[in-house]
Amino acid sequence: MTATQKHSLADTATTAFCWSAAALTGVAVLAVMGFLIFRGAGTLGLELFFGQTPWWDALTGARPVFDGLWSALAGTLILVVLSCLMAVPVGIAGGVYLSVYASRRYQSMTGFAVDLMAGIPSIVMGLFGFSMIVVLRHALFPHAKTCLLLAAVCIALLILPYLVRTTQNALSGLPEHLRLLGPSLGFSTWQNTRHVLLPSAGRGILSGVILAMGRAAEDTAVILLTGVVAQAFLPRSLWDKFEALPFRIYYLAAEHRSVAELDQAFGAALVLLMLTGALFCLAFLIQRTMEHRWKK
Amino acid sequence: MFFEIWIRRLLCAAAMVSTAAALCILLVLITLVLPLFAHGGLATVLAWQWLPFNGKFGILPMVVGSLWLSLGALAAATPLAVGLACFVQVLAPGRVKSLCLALVHYMTSIPTVIYGFVSIFLLVPLMRQWFERGTGFSLLTAMLALTLLILPTIVLVFHATLREADRTARATCAALGFSKPSYIRHVLLPLSRRGLLAAVILGFGRAVGDTLISLMLAGNAPMVPGSPADAIRTLTAHIALVVATDSQSTFYHSVFASGLILFLIMALINLALRRLGRSFAP
Amino acid sequence: MMSPKGFSLSVIAMALLVCAAPVLAGDLDRFTNLEGTLDIAGGTAHIPVMNEAAKRIMTFNPKVRITVAGGGSGIGVQKVGEGLVDIGNTGRALSEEEVAKFGLQSFDFAIDGVAPIVHPENPVTGLTAQQIRDVFAGRITRWSEVGGPDEAIHVYGREEASGTHEVFWGKMLKKEPIVASANIIQSNGAMKVAVSQDANAIGYMSIGHIDDTVKPLAVDGVTPSQETAVEGSYPVVRHLFMNTKGDPKPLARAFIDYILSEEGAGITSAAGYIPVR
Repeated sequence: MTATQKHSLADTATTAFCWSAAALTGVAVLAVMGFLIFRGAGTLGLELFFGQTPWWDALTGARPVFDGLWSALAGTLILVVLSCLMAVPVGIAGGVYLSVYASRRYQSMTGFAVDLMAGIPSIVMGLFGFSMIVVLRHALFPHAKTCLLLAAVCIALLILPYLVRTTQNALSGLPEHLRLLGPSLGFSTWQNTRHVLLPSAGRGILSGVILAMGRAAEDTAVILLTGVVAQAFLPRSLWDKFEALPFRIYYLAAEHRSVAELDQAFGAALVLLMLTGALFCLAFLIQRTMEHRWKK
Repeated sequence: MFFEIWIRRLLCAAAMVSTAAALCILLVLITLVLPLFAHGGLATVLAWQWLPFNGKFGILPMVVGSLWLSLGALAAATPLAVGLACFVQVLAPGRVKSLCLALVHYMTSIPTVIYGFVSIFLLVPLMRQWFERGTGFSLLTAMLALTLLILPTIVLVFHATLREADRTARATCAALGFSKPSYIRHVLLPLSRRGLLAAVILGFGRAVGDTLISLMLAGNAPMVPGSPADAIRTLTAHIALVVATDSQSTFYHSVFASGLILFLIMALINLALRRLGRSFAP
Repeated sequence: MMSPKGFSLSVIAMALLVCAAPVLAGDLDRFTNLEGTLDIAGGTAHIPVMNEAAKRIMTFNPKVRITVAGGGSGIGVQKVGEGLVDIGNTGRALSEEEVAKFGLQSFDFAIDGVAPIVHPENPVTGLTAQQIRDVFAGRITRWSEVGGPDEAIHVYGREEASGTHEVFWGKMLKKEPIVASANIIQSNGAMKVAVSQDANAIGYMSIGHIDDTVKPLAVDGVTPSQETAVEGSYPVVRHLFMNTKGDPKPLARAFIDYILSEEGAGITSAAGYIPVR
């Protein structure tokens, strides 16, 4: 074979490899989604969520739902709201500090801690939550139990580093002339941050928040150790056990007692996929419009 | 001015929360593992057999399981990621490029429990048919699902590097008469070596830290695998299993040891990434 | 003013009503004035009974809420002992250590057995006790060695703290360790799903969970069923217990009484166990 022939063979091979990598990935993802839609679409409907209980009673919590996803879905939503309420203000504030106020050295040190937190496996976070209860029981609160509050705190810790990083990146990614605008007009740092930087980076920060919400909704390992159970209905207080959508999927996959329960599992998987997919699309679109605005 | 100082302090405190939390977690894990060191229990935990009712609390099979699973998934995902990233950056026509990129971004939002769930019904029966020995729940099954999970992480990080390198090199190489595939092989990839290493390390971190896929697909047998069709148990699945089912205080030490090992692995990964000059960006 | 006949008829009717009242009132009545949360965790064999009872009680009185978790007998003992749940279920009797350490009270409510199970299409219908021990220990590795097709035997086991496991391991396997490559399953329900999906599987499960998606193996000629368990011809038998720390609180007491009542016994039988009365 001449050098040219070898060369073009190598070229073809490279091209073929790259195209097949893309095709393989595409097929795999579509297979996953397609399978879920195929098996799960038929189950969508009021009965999937509320079983035999009439939906207005179920929504208000007047009557418990026995064969439906409602308690799991409500549990996930409550969990997301609680953990975001705790994590979002702290995360955004932290990101603002790191981007606007902090010195290089401080940024580096805190940045390492943030990365460390981001890298902690979710099961270790759950283990931390569980061990907190073990420690608390021996020390201060003999009646401490794993509950909704504990799980929300652990999930808040889980998503905190993402919020800090995306806020930091959103603010640091603003064009130089914008960062200098306030000070040039006589604004103090905080005034500049509040009136110029935050509104401009608002969309980026918002998309980060939405992604964090998606992460909180899909996590299973943390809640596995901090209070999720197979049957708990709607949590009435922060100290109750609760249900969650990803745990319901895991549980039904392992031990469905009938074809109806298996169908419910597929429905639940589809609902979770739609939930995270919707949050993702929202964040992606918001991020895109922000990039459009600042790309000159 | 007074107001300014307080705002600054408040924001600083918020930034400190992450640091404080990371330290707290490390401290708690170490404190709960310490009793092991005291009674020479370290030897019990760093052993090869997990038979808790016979007094054997060895977690080494789980360490081996975690390593095999993560490295295997990495070995499968890295070539795919390189091919995909090069495809997106260089070879793909305009529309296909944005579609592909959007797809990879979307993949990051798919929950791990979904991958595990779908694999139970699609992959496991397949594995059961192909392999004589295993039950279908095996190292290989979990590896395949995990590959799909970590793929977008590796692609996105590597692609960022590739894009930068491409920006500087593309025009020059086109002027020199490089064909696109040659450009990829001889210029682009060598330029992006560091980025690839960072992406691979990140992917490894993601693989080691995942719980659901190995819990649902790997069979959870606490043994060192002899073949890809054997069942294994990872450190993460072990923690979940022990805390959720076997639950006497003597077992806890092995669980906290597992947690500590995982924490230290991730800390090492972060240090390695720092050396390479990247952060754990989401 | 009623006629004398009408009067006596009403008196008789009222008398009948008064006598019938306890029967008509039902076993759920003990929950009428109660409210609060009851947390139950532990043995997975009990779950169908607990779930059904919880459903009925909560439908009758929505102010009561009952959460049911699994985890196995080990979790049941540990959680109730540490006060994390109100009732901890176990599929085995408590050891003296456990009773002394935590101060637990046990309430026996059902008789159950643990049977070796295989896929319904597996041609093997029975094995000797020694063969079963050899299979689970990994000495026999192919179905052809015991009269089945030439396929590898896939062993499924439970985690060590499971009551189901402890009983099967103690009474059937004579405390021999199970082969290391056995897939570990986390509950009776999950064992049923696992074995029903794998044609070459063998596992062990509570008899009450057996339905037509799995097949119990006869051991030394005796087919495991609730009848053979009760009469003693099938040896691997255990009782199902509810345990509380000290005296049960009012809601827990009512729940335990309900399970032990007539209606509760009906739920227990429907779930496939033999109620203890």
